[in-house]
Order: sequence, then structure tokens, then C-alpha cells
Amino acid sequence: MKRAIVGLACLAMVLTACGSDSGAGSERSEITVLAAASLTAAFTKIGMDFEWDNPNATVRFSFGPSDGLATQILEGAPADVFAPASPKYMDQVQSEGPGVTGRADFARNKLAVIVPSDNPAHIASLDELAKPGVKLVLAAVGVPAGDYAREILANAGIQKEALANVVSNEEDVKGVVQKVLLGEADAGIVYRTDVTPDIASKVRGIAIPDAVNVIATYPIAVVGGSRNASAAEAFVRYVTGPGQATLRSFGFLPPS
Amino acid sequence: MAASKRTTPAVFVLLAIVGIAFVALPLAGLAQRTPWSRAADVLTSDSSVTALRLSLVVATSAALLSLVMGFPVAWVLSRSTFPGRTMVRGLVILPLVMPPVVGGVALLSVFGRRGFLGGPLYDLFGVQLTFTTTAAVLAAAFVSFPLAVLVLEAGLRSLDLRLEDAAATLGGSRWYVLRRVTLPLLAPQMAAGLVLCWARALGEFGATITFAGNLQGRTQTLPLAVFERLQTDPEGAIALSLLLVAVSLAVIVGLRARFLATR
Repeated sequence: MKRAIVGLACLAMVLTACGSDSGAGSERSEITVLAAASLTAAFTKIGMDFEWDNPNATVRFSFGPSDGLATQILEGAPADVFAPASPKYMDQVQSEGPGVTGRADFARNKLAVIVPSDNPAHIASLDELAKPGVKLVLAAVGVPAGDYAREILANAGIQKEALANVVSNEEDVKGVVQKVLLGEADAGIVYRTDVTPDIASKVRGIAIPDAVNVIATYPIAVVGGSRNASAAEAFVRYVTGPGQATLRSFGFLPPS
Repeated sequence: MAASKRTTPAVFVLLAIVGIAFVALPLAGLAQRTPWSRAADVLTSDSSVTALRLSLVVATSAALLSLVMGFPVAWVLSRSTFPGRTMVRGLVILPLVMPPVVGGVALLSVFGRRGFLGGPLYDLFGVQLTFTTTAAVLAAAFVSFPLAVLVLEAGLRSLDLRLEDAAATLGGSRWYVLRRVTLPLLAPQMAAGLVLCWARALGEFGATITFAGNLQGRTQTLPLAVFERLQTDPEGAIALSLLLVAVSLAVIVGLRARFLATR
């Protein structure tokens, strides 16, 4: 019985330890930024610059597929800033979710075909994605990069053949990059900016003709109900202001 | 029967309730959030049915593969002594603690197009395992294999060796003893191993999406279908996960009742 009481006491201690939150308020403001996977490199740099300029602010990023991030916000996940790769998902958060403030377009992007540097399927142009036997990887339907890629294939009139070559629908655009980078896929359709300096030696980018290419527009806004709205607004201003140079250096096009 | 006369301390009952609630509450939450009006549509949709069928094929193949590969390993670990046995045992159960995504990358390094087995396979025969159902089976087998080894090794250790000795003394060949004495005695552990491996394989996600990719009908198992759906239709994804739970529950309970009559 004695042991049982000790056991219960231990359990009680664990439970109360979980319950008591360190209530110490701090001056620091922490914001959570939910951003499209394609922004990973550029936003990580911008986040560091922003923290440098605002020593009291901490920026936490969650990069992922824009459709998935929008769903997370609609499901009530804590978010202060949202930056998807398509206006569609900002619209969704604006109309069905907690709403947004200070919305602005901050960048545009084009898509490109990437192949492993040894180019096993000998692909030199977008049209060759229709060749039988090419192992093509796209982002899943609903992911902006996946929808844009399918739009491009339709524009080029090779939708049927190219989609028959798809061997995997990845959760986000970085998944596509990874499969090509590892040399498992013959080709993928990603953003031009995904060919970052880190991987430039391992993959080759093939430009998609403007006539069939899609221009992706990136909006950014403060998510309604943000508990750190002022820091969130400051971050949005930073991205649309000083951060523009960083975005350019990563290959993003200026907003129209 | 006799054991049940002893009373269980109230504390244990209380703690057991906490333990059961820990597992049951999230499942109840899942059921509570399931959009029952839409569930039928989601579950009978083409993609769900395809994913379920593929999941059953992949999990069953992976469980059998784990068992077949795990048996000799369990035998060696339980019946022979050699330097580094502890190391080997640690090694074979490593997939259990390894993050599945890392497991997927590890599989790519061996079976991928540039892997040290997959590379020659591709160069010589033009065969690529990545993105195939075989890859999904390998990924699921990789994560469930340790369970097969653990269960079978425990089983082999608990066997009464005198029964084997008796059979051998009576003139049974080693093969005969294995087939007619050891394996039948090991049947409960075989069944338990199969169920555990199957359950682990059914829920496999990380290694599969990394190594096999995600394509409907070929590598998109139920967990992958749930994940893809979660991005755009969380309610539908919940309905689909409930299907996964129901299938696993049915098989585990069914097989337990059949093979592991609890005392």
C-alpha cells in the first residue's frame, strides 16, 4: 500500500508539472510564419536578417505545401504570418478562416524542369517529358507547384503523355527536388528558384518557354487572431521592403 | 482461472484506466470528428478503395517477408554464441528506433538507382525499384523486420530443447526436427510476429514516401492517401484514417482469437 501511495504521488507530481506553465512574461515576441516550401531558403535568410534588426523578435518558420498550411490555419493552428505560393490559399484563409490583414503580393516565380546532372533520360526541353518511359515526379494536385506543373503540361499540349509518366506525387515542391537530386527521378517540375546554389552542381534546370509557363504570385499577410500582431506586421513590412533584395538574390521576380 | 481469484490492487486498476484512456481517447476523438454523412462517399471513392487494396497487399507481403528473413536471424541469435552477438541484435532492431524517413533514405542508398545494389541492377538490367510496389513492400518490411526477430527469438528461447533432442534421438533428421517439432511449437510466436509485423507495415508512412514515392495504385498506401487528403480535406482524411483503424483492429482481434487463445 505504501508503494502504491508513492506511485500515486509520483503520478500527481508529473501531472501538476505538466499543468503549471511558467507564467513569467517576457519582452520577447515570437511569431510563427507559415510559408510555402519554395520560400524555405529565401525566408530563412530574411528571418535571420529580421531578427538581427529586431533583437526582441524571434521568427519561427513552418515550411510546407501551401494547401496543407492553409488547412492547418483553418484547423486553428497558431499562425501569425501566412505566405503561400498561390493567392488561392490566401483567399481561402481570408474567407473561410480567421481572416487576414495587411495582405500584399511580395514576389513572383516561374517554373522550370529539373533533371539530375547526368540527365539519364536525355531531356533537353519541356516537350521531352512526354517521351515514353521518362520517370517524372510532380508535386501533388492541390499543392501550388503541382497545379502549376499540370497547367504547364496542358498549355504545352502534352498533358496526357506526361501525366502517364508520373511515378510519384510529392507532398510539396521540395519533395520533387529531393527525388531528382537523389537521381531516382528522371525529371521534375519545380520553381526556378528551387535550383539553389547548394544543389546547382547536382541538378540541371531547363527553362520552360514563356508561352506555356505559369507565373506564380506569392501573397503575404498577418493572420487574423495573431497574438503578436505588431511583430507580425513588422515582418510583413520587412518582406515587402528590405527583404525584397534577398528575394531577388534567390531568383524571385518582383511583384507585378 | 485460478489467478483471477487474487484481487488486483485498486491502484493498478486506476493506472490501467489511465493507460487505456491514453490510447482510447484520441481514437474516440477521431470517431467524434468523423463526418459520418460524408464517410460513405469518402470510403467508397476510387482512391480510397485502391489505397486499401494496395495497403493489404503491401502489409501482407511485408509481414511474410519479415518473418521469412527474421526466422534465421532469430535462430542464430538465440542458439549460437559468437563475438558481437549483442551488436548484431542491436543492429537488427535498429529500424525500430530509426526515424522512418531516415530508413527510406537508407533504403535508397542500397536499392536506389544510384545505390550499391540498385545501381548495378539499373545499369545492367534497366530495373529500378524506386517508385514500384516492390519498393513499398521493402520499406514496410524494413520497419517491421525487427518485430519478427524479437518475437521469434523470444519464442525460440522459451522452447523446450528436450523435445527437439528427443526427436533427434529417435532418428529424426535435422530438417525433420525443424519441420515437425520446432516450427509447430513456434506457431504461436509465428502468428504473433505476423500480426505485429503486419500492423506495423500497415501504418508505415515515412520510409514508403521517401523510398517508394506516392502514386495511386502503385505506392499510395492508406497512410499516404490519408496524408495527401489531410492537406486539402481534413474531414475526409479523418474518415479514411478511421478505415485504417478499423481494418487493423479487425485483423489483430481476429488473428489473436484464432491463434493466440488467451488464457
